[in-house]
Amino acid sequence: MKIGVYFCNCGTNIADKVNSDLVAEAVKTFPDHHYFVVLDFICSEDGRLQFEESLKGEQPDRVVVAACSPRDHENTFRRCLINAGINPYLLQMVNIREQIAWVTESPVVATEKAVRAIRGSANRVVLQKPLEKKQLEVSSDALIIGAGPAGMKAALSLAEAGRKVTLVERTPFIGGLPVRFEDLFPAMECAPCMLEPLMADLLHGDYAENIELMTMSELVELTGFYGNFIAKIHRKPRHVSLHDCIGCGECIEVCPVSVSNEFNSNACMRKAIDFAFTGVLPNAPSLMEDICIRSKGDECRLCKDVCPMGEDVIDLDEVASVVERRFGSLILATGASLYDTSQLSGLGMGTLPDVYDSMQFERMLSSTGPTGGEILTADGRSPESIAIVHCAGSLDEEHKPYCSGICCQYALKFNHLISEKLPNTSVTHYYRELVLPGKEAHAMFEYAVNNKNSTMRRYLRLSDIAVSCDEDRKLHIDCSGERAFSDMVILCPPLVPAEGSSELAKMLDLGCDSFGFFSELHGRIDSTQSTIKGIYLAGACHEPMDIKHSILEGMAAVGYSLAGLQPGRIVETEPTTAEIDESGCAGCHLCISVCPYRAISFDAEKNISRVNAVLCHGCGTCVAACPAAAIVGHGFTSEQIMAEIEGALK
Amino acid sequence: MSDSEKPKLAIYWAASCGGCEIAFVNLHEKILDVDAAFDFMFCPCLLDTKKKDIEALQDGAIAVTLFNGALRTEENLEMAHLMRRKSKIMVAFGSCAKGGCIPSLANFTGSDEMLKTIYIDNPSLDNPMNIIPSGVTSFAGGEISLPGLLGRVKHLAEEVEVDYFVPGCPPESDQIWNVIEKILSGDLPPKGGTIGCGNLTVCDDCDRIKEEKRITAFRRSYEFYPDTRACLLEQGLICMGIATRSGCGAPCTRANMPCSGCYGSPDGVSDQGAKMVAALGSIMDIGDTSGLSESAIALRVEEFLQTIPDYAGLFYKYTLAGSTLGGRVGGSR
Repeated sequence: MKIGVYFCNCGTNIADKVNSDLVAEAVKTFPDHHYFVVLDFICSEDGRLQFEESLKGEQPDRVVVAACSPRDHENTFRRCLINAGINPYLLQMVNIREQIAWVTESPVVATEKAVRAIRGSANRVVLQKPLEKKQLEVSSDALIIGAGPAGMKAALSLAEAGRKVTLVERTPFIGGLPVRFEDLFPAMECAPCMLEPLMADLLHGDYAENIELMTMSELVELTGFYGNFIAKIHRKPRHVSLHDCIGCGECIEVCPVSVSNEFNSNACMRKAIDFAFTGVLPNAPSLMEDICIRSKGDECRLCKDVCPMGEDVIDLDEVASVVERRFGSLILATGASLYDTSQLSGLGMGTLPDVYDSMQFERMLSSTGPTGGEILTADGRSPESIAIVHCAGSLDEEHKPYCSGICCQYALKFNHLISEKLPNTSVTHYYRELVLPGKEAHAMFEYAVNNKNSTMRRYLRLSDIAVSCDEDRKLHIDCSGERAFSDMVILCPPLVPAEGSSELAKMLDLGCDSFGFFSELHGRIDSTQSTIKGIYLAGACHEPMDIKHSILEGMAAVGYSLAGLQPGRIVETEPTTAEIDESGCAGCHLCISVCPYRAISFDAEKNISRVNAVLCHGCGTCVAACPAAAIVGHGFTSEQIMAEIEGALK
Repeated sequence: MSDSEKPKLAIYWAASCGGCEIAFVNLHEKILDVDAAFDFMFCPCLLDTKKKDIEALQDGAIAVTLFNGALRTEENLEMAHLMRRKSKIMVAFGSCAKGGCIPSLANFTGSDEMLKTIYIDNPSLDNPMNIIPSGVTSFAGGEISLPGLLGRVKHLAEEVEVDYFVPGCPPESDQIWNVIEKILSGDLPPKGGTIGCGNLTVCDDCDRIKEEKRITAFRRSYEFYPDTRACLLEQGLICMGIATRSGCGAPCTRANMPCSGCYGSPDGVSDQGAKMVAALGSIMDIGDTSGLSESAIALRVEEFLQTIPDYAGLFYKYTLAGSTLGGRVGGSR
């Protein structure tokens, strides 16, 4: 076998320390037929040309290049091999610059090291085999998790660009958190009205056919990589056809069982088959399987029988299913939730009546909420005084040290709405810091400070505030030695990642910050990219933010997806992947457990594991772990590695 | 066929426990078939043939020698060379001859230290004169001598050319019969091959249900009753089956005990213990380490590893003499 050994001086970088004449002498003693060529800068245009010419002339069977780190120029030199008509995987690089010349004092020792490293590579390269890259067309389609403002905007924009989008939503409805609010800061717009065009376009607009909406569904498995992801999505049965239901509500009337409604902060009841709340989209109820008396063995089918649209709308026997979708990019728009205010000692959440968190109060304000928009105490009175506690757990090392940046604005919105609904009710804001950025929020602030019924009171620490209750069910608020009475207390806590975020991150191998928000690739220049290529972050799933910014991030994620994934674009996959020798695999499953890319699956019929070469990144974890040595790492076989070690230690 | 016309069969034991002979006898009535096919002429455990009778044979006169046991003494060494010289086919029979097995675990200590443990420090001994048997002992009827110990325990192929290897501690009787049949029929692989076994791992023989291999804690057999259907390794028992050659039929895991690895490594694996360590290292689940310091993670790994008793006895019980590790560094050969 003829082996070409090319030695790069790298100017003086290598030549100063490694004596190429002595290396040439040593190479003569290697087994096999070697020729030795010294070049000055193989990576330069001239160097590459000389290298290629030499390769064409000599026609070696294998090539060793002793130069820099393969991270620098392995691809450069592989291309030279291709140009010379040699399979690029018959090249082995030896890093004699970073690993030897730069880090060794003595030229004598450096030369000796270089000889050993080159002998190792020469030993190894003999065993290397030609490998071929695989070509793969990328998918320009996208999967979006979460149908809140960010997810909906992203879905619509991608659909408009002709991309197929699968939009997966955990709840039975779209619109995220804002669709549950009445009015929005800063302009006091009606939230459902503002979102309505977006939601209507998503469901029935010109590009709706490019969007596949899956409600009551969750991502359960993701494999693959940028351009070629494959997801498994678990779909809970809705039992009501989104296609055929007209949302008349007849089925709800006849349903014999009720349960408290989580989408209304459990402040009112809903039927087993019902809308999450009035006006939700898609305009179809869903059946809660565990509440329906059929789950207890009853044969009830009142809802199905009463449906005016026929037999096929309600499917009482529908079961959960798992569907698979292939796509090129994934946008996470899973949003946020509120910090659990029962963790805040002394503020009465969960122990005193009429202490609410801001989400509960939003639902009370909403005309689709449990009170139809009326502000009422637990015993049904209109409150004469309401206290609003800002920063309830924010800017607080014991709870959340960050400021969510939206609470002051919605708290001032509450002031506005309370005054409209109850003009004589006094409102006291207990705040630690006021955060009202932007050009519009000042209007609400001015409204509140000019409101004769409002008081703004600053506090220093949350422990300075204590809420208690007397026998008349009147709430006392003690703040820095002063006591005030209030009929209702509203706590404005920090935003935290949505429930299930950490499980999702774990499943995707996505990093999270110390608060549990998804980690950005870079906090400023790449804040909508995650740490995994092709997975983008939009909205409050990675940082607390308002609707405007969530929607902007939805568009930013769309930008990445559109820029990178053009229909028809080809990506090449490295052939240095793992492959299982079927005749040596005993089916112990160990490789499946260790694969970080979920590239290995089990063939139960043959009782063997199998590597999907497209999903495999060639990390070698399974090769090392396979206790039967039945997995070969192409380009890094045990024989090649042992030969290299033996050559170096000779 | 008279004995003189039949091919000669010998079984010799070196440093071994006698289990290989018992496994051979466990052929039951098939031993009559062995007798019909061979002139079974040498087996110190069962027959009265003497060393001098073997020495008197022409070289290559014995068709097959099943040599079991490791090489512990000079006598073992001498007999290994003698049997090799006299035999056409030399079989390293059982794990001691193949890889050194339990006797070679002594390679972790020097001979003096080992003898002291056995004859002086052993709590069940009463040896007031601190006698360590060795060399020549004279008595009224003459004198007797003990063979000297080798510096380290070796496996057979370290000293003589071995034609075939038969794994097992001991080899399973049905596999011994397979070996006899192969020898009789001449259906043998190239020399140096392993016979009387499968080419996969014990997982192939074991019909337990294999699922996710992610181990949160190692446990030992006495600590709990393992589920009888689930993979024992997945239940935290260190079952060597994943790194052990198949062919035994998995009697241990059938009896709810983890495989201890007696069939050695499958083809392609040069070091069973190292392979097992690599495999376990890949599936140890030390839990969520996000936010932990490097030293805290190292401590967690350390605590996890402390639940493995006796690394050498666990991972190299059957293969130490032939492993990369070999024994204590600096021990004389």
